[in-house]
Amino acid sequence: MNEQLQIEATGETVGEAKWSALRELEKLQPGLDKAAVKFQVVSEGERGLLGVGFAPARVIATVEADGDANGATEAVDESELAANVRELLGRIVREIGVHARLTIEEDDETLTAAFSGRDLGLLIGKHGQTIDAIQYLANAIVYRGQMEDRKAIVVDAAGYRERRKASLDALAVRSAERAVSTGQRVELEPMTAVERKVVHLRLKDYPGVVTASEGTEPNRFVVIAPGG
Amino acid sequence: MAELLAELARRLVDDPDAVHVEEIERDGAHVLQLHVAKDDVGKVIGRQGRIARALRTIVRAGAARSSYRVLVEIVD
Repeated sequence: MNEQLQIEATGETVGEAKWSALRELEKLQPGLDKAAVKFQVVSEGERGLLGVGFAPARVIATVEADGDANGATEAVDESELAANVRELLGRIVREIGVHARLTIEEDDETLTAAFSGRDLGLLIGKHGQTIDAIQYLANAIVYRGQMEDRKAIVVDAAGYRERRKASLDALAVRSAERAVSTGQRVELEPMTAVERKVVHLRLKDYPGVVTASEGTEPNRFVVIAPGG
Repeated sequence: MAELLAELARRLVDDPDAVHVEEIERDGAHVLQLHVAKDDVGKVIGRQGRIARALRTIVRAGAARSSYRVLVEIVD
């Protein structure tokens, strides 16, 4: 299935038109091999005088479509688990309509499936709710009826997990400082179990506060109280 | 979207042949009714409704580019 991706782009000069075409192609195909792109110059463009007679340069850029763009294949040397995860995630992402490359890394405890590419906002969702839903379902489906030997499946997109952890760490410290300075407990927004754990761990050895989770799922939240 | 919902549900239940999705319009919303065998209802709802919620979130993400509102209902 070697489809071709073709894009027409314009710019003030041929060079700019080519550059803009490459950017568009990269959106469609993350990790694009720029050397493989062929250009056809449709119009060199007219510079014009004082804005009169200006015509943009126009190019058509063509590249072989990457069959792996939705992560469905690329199954070389992957474990059976990784292949299952790749197939399932490829299926979901295709339906959501996002073009992304999927990289899977595995160690003894965790399998991390990371999407990369542009415009992955739809895949991540508000407060990460879509990527969390995909991750939850992936674990439920891949390990259906299996209680033991479950390697945690982590689904990431565009470095979201790392960014989220950094912002949770910062929120934890900020809230702990507030709890200490005001002498009052601070309630955080509802979070998933994994996110709550990040906050608890960050404040485990933080002097002057104790943390706990309250409420019921999906509205369970962390409370930071002075004391300890 | 109906197809993805059905496919995900089939991978969660014991009786995949009983899974089907009906699409209806109601009050201006596009409703996907997920039918599963009686004994499988719990499997597509999950503990504290978490599976059902994840299914809804994914279906909604898939419908985000379209203009209509999508609801997912579970029926045995």
